[in-house]
Amino acid sequence: MVNPLTYVFRSKVTEKFEFSDIELEALGSELKAEVNQVFGHSLAIRELDSGSDNSTEIEISNLGTPHYDVERFGISFVASPRHADVLLVTGAVTLNMAEAVLKTYEAMPAPKFVVAVGDDACNGGIYRGSYAVLGGVDKILPVDIKIPGNPPSPKEILRGIFALVKKASG
Amino acid sequence: MISNKNTASSLVPAGSKLRDNCQIPVNPSILSTRYATDLIIDISGKEPQVRRGKNNEFYIPLGEEEFLKTVPALSEKGFVLISLFCVQDFEESPGFTLFYVFRLKGFTDVFAFMRQVRTETTSVATIFPSACWYEREIRDGFGIEFKDAFDKRRLFLHEAYPEGFHPLLKSFKNRKIQAVQNPEEAYPFKQVEGEGVYQIPVGPVHAGIIEPGHFRFSVIGEPIFNLEIRLFYKHRGIEKLAEGKRPSACVPIAEAISGDETVANAVAFCTAIEKLAGIEVPPRANCLRAILLELERIYSHMGDLSGMITDIGFPKMTTPFLILRENIFRQNELLTGSRFMRGAVDIGGLKKEISDEALLKLYLYSKTFVPEFDSAIAAVRASSSLIDRFSTTGVLKKKLIAPLNLTGPIARASGASYDVRLDHPYGIYKDVPPERTIKTAGDVLSRFEVKAKEVLNSAFLIQKLIASIPEGAVAAEAAGFAVSNIPDGYALSMVEAARGQNLHWIYVRGGLIDRYKVRTASFCNWQAIEHAVLGNIVPDFPLINKSLNLSYAGTDL
Repeated sequence: MVNPLTYVFRSKVTEKFEFSDIELEALGSELKAEVNQVFGHSLAIRELDSGSDNSTEIEISNLGTPHYDVERFGISFVASPRHADVLLVTGAVTLNMAEAVLKTYEAMPAPKFVVAVGDDACNGGIYRGSYAVLGGVDKILPVDIKIPGNPPSPKEILRGIFALVKKASG
Repeated sequence: MISNKNTASSLVPAGSKLRDNCQIPVNPSILSTRYATDLIIDISGKEPQVRRGKNNEFYIPLGEEEFLKTVPALSEKGFVLISLFCVQDFEESPGFTLFYVFRLKGFTDVFAFMRQVRTETTSVATIFPSACWYEREIRDGFGIEFKDAFDKRRLFLHEAYPEGFHPLLKSFKNRKIQAVQNPEEAYPFKQVEGEGVYQIPVGPVHAGIIEPGHFRFSVIGEPIFNLEIRLFYKHRGIEKLAEGKRPSACVPIAEAISGDETVANAVAFCTAIEKLAGIEVPPRANCLRAILLELERIYSHMGDLSGMITDIGFPKMTTPFLILRENIFRQNELLTGSRFMRGAVDIGGLKKEISDEALLKLYLYSKTFVPEFDSAIAAVRASSSLIDRFSTTGVLKKKLIAPLNLTGPIARASGASYDVRLDHPYGIYKDVPPERTIKTAGDVLSRFEVKAKEVLNSAFLIQKLIASIPEGAVAAEAAGFAVSNIPDGYALSMVEAARGQNLHWIYVRGGLIDRYKVRTASFCNWQAIEHAVLGNIVPDFPLINKSLNLSYAGTDL
């Protein structure tokens, strides 16, 4: 007979990581509860760079690093748009990427959501008025949530994803 | 206005002429420009007019005949073509002026041949292979045809751009254009044919959280037989955006060239403007700039080190690198208010003071960073299966370095010594020279080792800089130099970014930017990947790619 209390009090087997961010943990558990409710326990995100300066990609990648580790909150970054609920788009949408952006969106199954990440994705940012960009993701796709910033921090991106999940549930 | 119009003989005391590439005396008082002018005199019998630039660079206008005769000789003597760009209506010369920028090993100066051309000219790509992309770039930007070029395909203007559209022409005022809908012609990739040869097209959209680009592999079984890359999906029109703006308004544009080279490009741009205007950057600002530049190098290299390990499936060993890297991002934020150190650098120095408290925190953090980094590296070195994947993979041959102007840690892992901080010192690096890190095998392991050593060197350099940081103003205006009025003229500057030599050239006319040419290390280094992957198996491509760490944004502009 196993004493159920041993499950509660047993020690961790992982190495100790001396770091905690109360704000992140609170946001994460709220997000996890919402993802469980709205997306059936897992939210699949496909990242797409439509012509950013690459800093936003770095911050999105950072969501997977030990300080954030957002897979804990039911979020995963997937390799194919066919597996994705959400398209996270960075960049002002260059003329050279416009076709690939459309094809990526079309490859996603419905229901699908689009999040614009970074000032350039929100409204063209510094590239507004350039011959080479359309000037924001909403020029080519229906955008559900915009996350401004140059670039937005990992926590700001996570807050934006939370806002999307809230919005998706109506 | 040009500050000085000199003849070659007045630049330096008459010295020995360049006779043999192997016997070049390394003496900073003798200029590579001098050797080039001697060559011109030898070949054409004419003494060229040499103009002294503002930042240890020289300009040599040449007639077509002298140009064509001298260029092959420069190649024979080991000069490296480090940039080639076009300027329309330069000073009193209507039409197009091409600037061919060269450097020679062991010399701190660089020089540009200036060639007047019409809408059709000849290619030098068979003599200097690095010219190939530059010529295609100029064709797209200005509509100049290089009639005997071996590659005349478009470069940064993809099929969406209409025929006859050339955005860098002065007649084109920046505005939205009508894209070509459903373009008919596909980009003609090189076709490799033969029994068992098949193609693997990859991208522009990749499977991970990375930037877009297209790779066309021709493969026989597992080994890669040929790779052709097609980039510029992220072309945002950076150079045109700067035109007509006041220099101070262009610092954010420089920062947006490549997010992870924010400081390097901001410093390069500001240095060019400062040299042009004769603005003296206060010593404290120079010291702080170097601290930020080295922090940028650390977080960039840390991303590569962890990425290389990730790409062969060792997540446990990646973790310590990722933790340390995030800590650096947080130090960046404490120092400047931005994790990418955006808005920190400005013309004349820094935009705002960095507090002693933040510097002390950084100093203390660097003391714990070093042993933790050492132990992360030790774990990597202790894994035989990891070393086995890194060793002999993706070899980049030393003989490619000069023809393609490969720079930065990837060139230093293939036996090159070149480092802009040491070979064309700028800012504080004259007084605090960093250590050179050189490996010779040219494989992924060498690149890993060079970057690991450079992270440590940067950390030690930061400690040294903080320990001896001068007091005083961080902006030239506070120190009594006028930053508001930028006189007309032009200047070239180079900075050692994390990826290598970034080159900026600015031309100011009427107080506004008339031409801004940017050439990042990635523009050159991308061309190395087509060589480094040959004979390697396709599954090693991500590893080789990561070990080279090339910026798409910085190339596509």
